Amino acid sequence: MRSLFTNRRRMALKQVSSSKCFGGLQKVFEHDSVELKCKMKFAVYLPPKAETGKCPVLYWLSGLTCTEQNFISKSGYHQAASEHGLVVVAPDTSPRGCNIKGEEDSWDFGTGAGFYVDATEDLWKTNYRMYSYVTKELPQLVNDNFPVDPQRMSVFGHSMGGHGALICALKNPGKYKSVSAFAPLCNPVLCRWGKKAFTGYLGTDQSKWEAYDATCLVKSYPGSQLDILIDQGKEDEFLSDGQLLPDNFIAACTEKKIPVVFRLQEGYDHSYYFIATFIADHIRHHAKYLNA
Amino acid sequence: MEEGAGEAPGLGRSAASKDFRFYHTDLYDSEDRLQIFPEESTRMRREGVQAEMTHEPMRGGVKGKAQRDLGEEVDELVHLYGLEDDHDLGDEFIEENTPRIEVSEYPSYMMMGSEQRDWRLTGEAAQGEDLGFMGWGSVGQCQDLREAYRYSHGRASEEYECYVIPEEEDEEEAADVFCVTCKTPIRASEKDQDEHKQHEVTPLSKALESAKDEIHKNMYKLEKQIIEMENFASHLEEVFITVEENFGRQEQNFESHYNEILETLSQKYEEKIQALGEKKKEKLEALYGQLVNCGENLDTCKELMETIEEMCHEEKVDFIKDAVAMADRLGKFLQTKTDVEISAQPDFEDQTLDFSDVEELMGSINTIPAPSAPVINPQAPNSATGSSVRVCWSLYSDDTVESYQLSYRPVQDGSPGKEQTEFTMTVKETYCSVTNLLPNTQYEFWVTAQNRAGLSPTSERAVYMTAPCPPIIKSKEIRSCEEAALISWESGNLNPVDSYTVELTQAETPGASGVTECVVGIPTCECLVQLQPRQNYTIYVRALNVGGPSARSEPATVHTTGSYFPLNEHTCHPWLTVSEDGLTVVRSERRGPAKEPVPSDTQFTRCAAVMGNLIRVRGRHYWEVEVDECLDYTVGVAFEDVPRQEDLGANRLSWCMRHAFASSRHKYEFLHNKTTPDIRITVPPKKIGILLDYENAKLSFFNVDISQHLYTFSCQLHQFVHPCFSLEKPGYLKINNGISMPEHVTFY
Repeated sequence: MRSLFTNRRRMALKQVSSSKCFGGLQKVFEHDSVELKCKMKFAVYLPPKAETGKCPVLYWLSGLTCTEQNFISKSGYHQAASEHGLVVVAPDTSPRGCNIKGEEDSWDFGTGAGFYVDATEDLWKTNYRMYSYVTKELPQLVNDNFPVDPQRMSVFGHSMGGHGALICALKNPGKYKSVSAFAPLCNPVLCRWGKKAFTGYLGTDQSKWEAYDATCLVKSYPGSQLDILIDQGKEDEFLSDGQLLPDNFIAACTEKKIPVVFRLQEGYDHSYYFIATFIADHIRHHAKYLNA
Repeated sequence: MEEGAGEAPGLGRSAASKDFRFYHTDLYDSEDRLQIFPEESTRMRREGVQAEMTHEPMRGGVKGKAQRDLGEEVDELVHLYGLEDDHDLGDEFIEENTPRIEVSEYPSYMMMGSEQRDWRLTGEAAQGEDLGFMGWGSVGQCQDLREAYRYSHGRASEEYECYVIPEEEDEEEAADVFCVTCKTPIRASEKDQDEHKQHEVTPLSKALESAKDEIHKNMYKLEKQIIEMENFASHLEEVFITVEENFGRQEQNFESHYNEILETLSQKYEEKIQALGEKKKEKLEALYGQLVNCGENLDTCKELMETIEEMCHEEKVDFIKDAVAMADRLGKFLQTKTDVEISAQPDFEDQTLDFSDVEELMGSINTIPAPSAPVINPQAPNSATGSSVRVCWSLYSDDTVESYQLSYRPVQDGSPGKEQTEFTMTVKETYCSVTNLLPNTQYEFWVTAQNRAGLSPTSERAVYMTAPCPPIIKSKEIRSCEEAALISWESGNLNPVDSYTVELTQAETPGASGVTECVVGIPTCECLVQLQPRQNYTIYVRALNVGGPSARSEPATVHTTGSYFPLNEHTCHPWLTVSEDGLTVVRSERRGPAKEPVPSDTQFTRCAAVMGNLIRVRGRHYWEVEVDECLDYTVGVAFEDVPRQEDLGANRLSWCMRHAFASSRHKYEFLHNKTTPDIRITVPPKKIGILLDYENAKLSFFNVDISQHLYTFSCQLHQFVHPCFSLEKPGYLKINNGISMPEHVTFY
């Protein structure tokens, strides 16, 4: 157990675990989040290359109900990250233990369902600032504490995290070198999960939702080069359930000429088995831009 | 050489100056000759020759003996030129001196005379003259010096100092000035004497200096002459040996000839004597027989006479009786012919003696025998060019040959009816470069030697072959990648050649144009050469046969940047056309032939496709295709034996990206065995990058302009594949070949 301190900010990082993996180290840290006003855990993979120099960082945003553990234990991304020399950071999906009423009531809202937005509704706005957490606080923390190159970062995610990855990239042109997603919620304003979450965090004014909707954001995206890779299982129950709506996103990108390769993978569902199958493609996709 | 040496002495004695000069020319290099006459004029030359002539007959006289013996003559020459000492020439001096003095107003001649003396050793008179003449000294002085020099020269010709010393010693003690007019040293007191009163005088030391200078100049010349003389002597030695050998051979030749003739003559004598004896015996026998016969007749006659005489003395009655009987007997006797013709004539019948063969032998006695057949050599490697061969042969060392007749004709197999023209040429050497021949063709050569005695038998026949024509590189069919290139060529020769050689020159170093690599012994008309990546090479091909290599082919250039492949027009669907540069495939608006093309093994007949010829090298190959966004096209790879009657991607032998544009929607398929993943692409590529990676068994497609990865096939490439292109609608595809792989594709 040891703590790391920075000069600028007293931000204690507590290492929860550290395991050697593909020559590098899979670590989990805990810290007190300023944005979220709670203790947060996040996972960091340091590839062997990080021992000798600064590496690019790839942020993974997980889906509903996940913690930092799901991705690092199920996706099998380590080998590819090790080979490409990428630091991979996987945060939790929401604040935890904030004792907000209704926080634990459902699996698709509250704990484990932060939706990567900065909440504006009174009940949630103090703690549920996941967008700021993953785009500002966490990168700052990582840049300050690990051998990373702040100029080279990318983001990807799964499902709700895929939505998070897309909006992070689309809302910050040039900040992320690349973006990719597994079965993302492409147009949350039009799906039940999205409507429920956005209503709860942002209120009923649907015009405010559009700031966190990938398909809506594409329409106003200024056109900085962004290569988007999306894999979608064809047998994904949430696809047929209309939660993901990739066609809307593809149509918007086609119209705006934003490069997307959308791969509808025959036979795959929404699980981490699907993710594990194509994780190497995604890591390579990011490595292409991060290591260019 | 032997000829010249043989004739020279006789001509020399005949005192014909021109012939005499010929003698010289034979013995001396013409170069020397030029040195001898730096300012040649006819006058001088004649003078020189005459001078020599004066001594030449004399020497002959001294020797006093006919000089047919050439060995002796050469011996004498050597002696004369190299070794003759002063005393031998002492007698000649006075006679020679006279004409020389006459021409002494020609300084340049004197130079020449000096040279000549050295070569011909006419005597040191010339030397003395030189010393005396070169701008100073009177005749008297000259004489003094000459005598002194002769004295010293007799001891050692190389002690040059001796030339000077006598001069100084001869100096009269009292003389202290030099009279230029009289060219004599005088005492200063004598200056006032009437003899030198009006004469110009210089201090004696000054005159001495100039005299010394002259002498040193002459010494330098002498030094040179000695060296030349030594060279000449060794040359003469060689000549001597040669002459000895030649004449030794000639003597043997004479001897054998004479023996042959004598044998022939004695044989003829024996034959003749025997024939005469037989004839004589035969005649005598005939005559004896006739004589015996004649005697018998005579006896008979006598007896008859006696009988008749007795009858005359008998009684009448008896006489009558006997007379009747006698008359009968007599009548009978007289009736028998008495042979009085002489059966054998005492004189000879007309017998001509046939000496023609002897005459022939006699005629050939002075000539050499006809040479034996030369031995023709087999063809030497690399001695031929495309239009010529160098034929060599050798003679037997005993043969004397004046010229050879070299004949040849092309070797023609298969058509014996067709007479091949024979060519013959006469050459002096034992080799001949025969030109104006056809390339890569066999010629049969044979040679005969010839001299005055006649022709030798024909040599064996040897077959020589001209080098092939240079091959023609099929520049348009060159395929390359970063590690190798496949070069193919046309033989350029109708007949097969033995092998080919490929020469590679790396063009990166403009100064050093050396051949960096050479691939030899290539049996076929193509070669896969290993190269370094990202270099420019100039490539040449040569064809080889036993005669040697052809000239270089026209060069071809190869750039080992990316992969380069030409389109295989044999596979091209009839509706497609390939541009001149081989890089653009066009399907025109106008429909092709209404009829569907007949199925074929090479040509695509169903989809309007064409295949490229990618080099057969495992590794990575990358190329790009420029497409129109709205064009329906298929690009990818296929095995060489992909069915031509199927669409690309409709089988297990092809992997393709297909684009279809319908109702303003782009549809992208990545087809293999009729199946495709469901992939949507939001930005239609205008330029598709295709990466074929044999090692990782992958085929990837990219949108080049935005470095976007589109799709990667995992494909088991158990054979080599080729790029393929198809146009489902009118339009065109432009292929970008030979480009280096962009960095972003290296991640796939």
